[in-house]
Amino acid sequence: MDRLAEAPKSTFLEKISTRHFRSGWKAFIIIFFLLFVILPTVWVLSYIFTDWSSIETVMGDPDLMSTIYDAILASFEIAAIVTVIDIIVGLPMAWILVRKEFRGKRYLDTLIDMPLAVPTAALGFSCAIFWAATSSNVNAPGFAPGFVDSAFLLIVLLHVVFSYPYMVRSLAAILEQIDVTYETAGRALGATKLTAARTITLPLFRAGLVTGIILCMARSLSETGGTMIALATMANSGNFETGPTLIGAWKSNPDLIPQLAFVSILLIVISLILLIILKIAVMKIKLPAGKVWPKYERILSRGWAPFLKDSTSSAFLFIFVLIPSFFIFTYVVVLPYQSAEWGLFWDSLFYSFIIAGVVTVLDIIMGVPMALYVARGHGSKIIQSLDVLVNVPLIVPTAALGFSLGMFWGDVPGIGSFDFILIVMAHVAFTYPLVVRNVAGAVEEIDPSYEETARTLGAKPLQAFRRVLYPMIKTSILAGAIMAFTRSLGETGATLAVVANANTAPVYIVDLINTEQFYTAGLACIVLIIVSYVFMVLLRYITKRRVA
Amino acid sequence: MPEITVRGLTKRYGKVIAVDDATLTIKDKEYVTILGPSGCGKTTLIRMMAGIIEPTEGKVFIDGKDMKGVPIEERDLGYVFQNIALFPNMNVGENVSYSPRVKGKSPEEQGTTSHKYLELVKLLDKMGMFPGELCGGEQQKVSLARALATGSKLLLLDEPLSALDARVRVDLRYDLRRLVKALGITTVHVTHDQEEAMSVSDRIVLMRAGAIVEMGTPEQLYTKPENIFTMNFIGETNLIEGWVRERSVGLCKIELRDGSELEVHSCPYDTGTAVVVSVRPEFVYPFTSGLRSKIVSTTYMGTYWRMTAESASEDEIDFDVPVSDGHLYKIGQEVYLMINNKATVVFPRPHEGIAEAVKLE
Repeated sequence: MDRLAEAPKSTFLEKISTRHFRSGWKAFIIIFFLLFVILPTVWVLSYIFTDWSSIETVMGDPDLMSTIYDAILASFEIAAIVTVIDIIVGLPMAWILVRKEFRGKRYLDTLIDMPLAVPTAALGFSCAIFWAATSSNVNAPGFAPGFVDSAFLLIVLLHVVFSYPYMVRSLAAILEQIDVTYETAGRALGATKLTAARTITLPLFRAGLVTGIILCMARSLSETGGTMIALATMANSGNFETGPTLIGAWKSNPDLIPQLAFVSILLIVISLILLIILKIAVMKIKLPAGKVWPKYERILSRGWAPFLKDSTSSAFLFIFVLIPSFFIFTYVVVLPYQSAEWGLFWDSLFYSFIIAGVVTVLDIIMGVPMALYVARGHGSKIIQSLDVLVNVPLIVPTAALGFSLGMFWGDVPGIGSFDFILIVMAHVAFTYPLVVRNVAGAVEEIDPSYEETARTLGAKPLQAFRRVLYPMIKTSILAGAIMAFTRSLGETGATLAVVANANTAPVYIVDLINTEQFYTAGLACIVLIIVSYVFMVLLRYITKRRVA
Repeated sequence: MPEITVRGLTKRYGKVIAVDDATLTIKDKEYVTILGPSGCGKTTLIRMMAGIIEPTEGKVFIDGKDMKGVPIEERDLGYVFQNIALFPNMNVGENVSYSPRVKGKSPEEQGTTSHKYLELVKLLDKMGMFPGELCGGEQQKVSLARALATGSKLLLLDEPLSALDARVRVDLRYDLRRLVKALGITTVHVTHDQEEAMSVSDRIVLMRAGAIVEMGTPEQLYTKPENIFTMNFIGETNLIEGWVRERSVGLCKIELRDGSELEVHSCPYDTGTAVVVSVRPEFVYPFTSGLRSKIVSTTYMGTYWRMTAESASEDEIDFDVPVSDGHLYKIGQEVYLMINNKATVVFPRPHEGIAEAVKLE
């Protein structure tokens, strides 16, 4: 910090440390959250009251209803399957990352995050040319497996790729907070590694598991851009649609507003019900940790079994996550060079970056204080309900959320015509919870006595936060910021749903694919990947240096 | 009948040597404490015994069986952790019955085991409570019960009392010894508290900077240690520098720095050898003759007064006087100190200097 700024800052600090200012600030944060995040997110529900008759018309059309029913069912089926796969393969990987020491661990650690650097639009294309049977004008490399001809399976494979890092990260974050001594103590009492992990660590793990499940399901339920691109790239997707792709497809047609509203409402309501059930289930249901099978668990704890487990989860990471993510590089290398129109792409990329940057900054300023209230305010009923509300935009599919936001802001005079503000608002709504969840999770694990100690030493609340708490939760803020930034950068569904002809990079790529300009799309994807990756590395580097 | 032996046990972390070539045997039913200042490698040593840490070199034998490659859960021992480590997701009863449970014992047997050991530590009424609801002393008792419930005859205690209140600590250490003695358990107890080590052990192993300095019964180490570090670390002592002036049977004359003379009980060193005479404060008395000294500080200790004096030979000498006599001494006052020469131990003067020789690291 600048030494010169020290003197006037102290008076500023005193000013903002007064009770009045602090309660005002708290109120501001909460109002921002309710007014700018929650309300626009669920605004579409008001459609039920204002225009019920048109919804009735939609429900009266059996063909339409069966299309909608199929799409929504597919969305939830895919989300459920993807989440289960993520838990099964993510748990051992989280374990490796946290509890194992080996050479090259740092590289593995970065590899996990790599798919996050790839915008889902690029992922969708990359995955499709790797797994799916594609038509000849796509020119997918001959050595790609390319055998998947079920649209459903392709989308499951795609969704695993981008939800996997979320699962591993949330699980690893919680695992890191659990004292290893518990497991060691368990083993000293005669439990094998597997038994100790299962009966002691896993039950302490619930919170992390909920976060992981919510993040994964929500990611899968929301994803639009990548899904649309993958479906467009594969040879024969039939008429396969998911809830979000329906919204994406219908959005450009102004006659379909009631249908859009109906699908959005369904997605939102079902997701919310699911969230509540999940929350209750994970906290109330006792995991089947009671029974112990010493003989079998002993076999599984030693020799080939752990090795098999570790190597399978590493193999999974490479075959199902990393290779499909980056397969697009081989695609562009193999094809002969074609000239392409780049000006528009650079414009869209720049536009996307500005949006993602603004969104991330807003998320941190508004989200970190919220995370502190949520994490430290367990006593208060209001805070507890805020805690639940924070998850709402996370679980609401972004396409539905975008539609809802478009409706909300469209009604506000003056705002509706500014595409930039609309897109930023939409992106804040679904990235905000990523920052809050990440930071709140970290703060909850930190003993409040550190801040209390700082306060007894004369630190103002803000100082206590900055000097004591902030250094401890910095990595979580960074993780949240990276997630928010890359999510914003890669988001297609919400963008399309608020502004039909938005000029962001992923939307541009979707357009390229739809017009069968596969080569240019491939190059654009690669540029997007490289730029996001460089940005992530830079962000990490900057935050690391500031500590030292 | 468990007996634990370590031979040439060494643990290195890069260039840092945590434990250096430790060799010792703990006999069946013996209660041994590994004592030493913080960072001396005692915890690393006991963790290697348990299998929590793999040694860099050397071997651990339990009942003569080489433990190389035997995981912690198959070493058949009980382990109590300094940070207690009761499983927060289980209540007291479930914590204690964890070991029979993971060994596949029937629910009835799990119940009787936890009942038995909770009764032993007198916490049967806390069965249904969660660890967070107990106070520190109770938590550690539960943790002890949990370790005993393994049914193992070998118990490893890693600073079991360090996290507790002073009073609880003292009470609990007697409980501890009584319990393991009654059950006939071989115990290794790691501590940095020399008073704790003295009062519970059959034998003390003193460590410093990764190496074993000396081992012996508490009485041996207190009264006749072989090492000046031991003398200084266990209990309190005065160290007086001098040279052997005259040797005769049973009695030796030591010349101090100011030329004055001190008589000590036996000294195996030749005339002219530089030596250090150690005598504990309780064996120094104020008298009408002896070492001429000046009082430097007086401290009220409750049951006595601790006086610190500087002798004419520039040695610092502590001695104690009864509470009733405390008022007789003032700072700066001249006194003559007599030393009970039967209670003296003479060491050759360490070439690295006394301060270095008794330093904790």
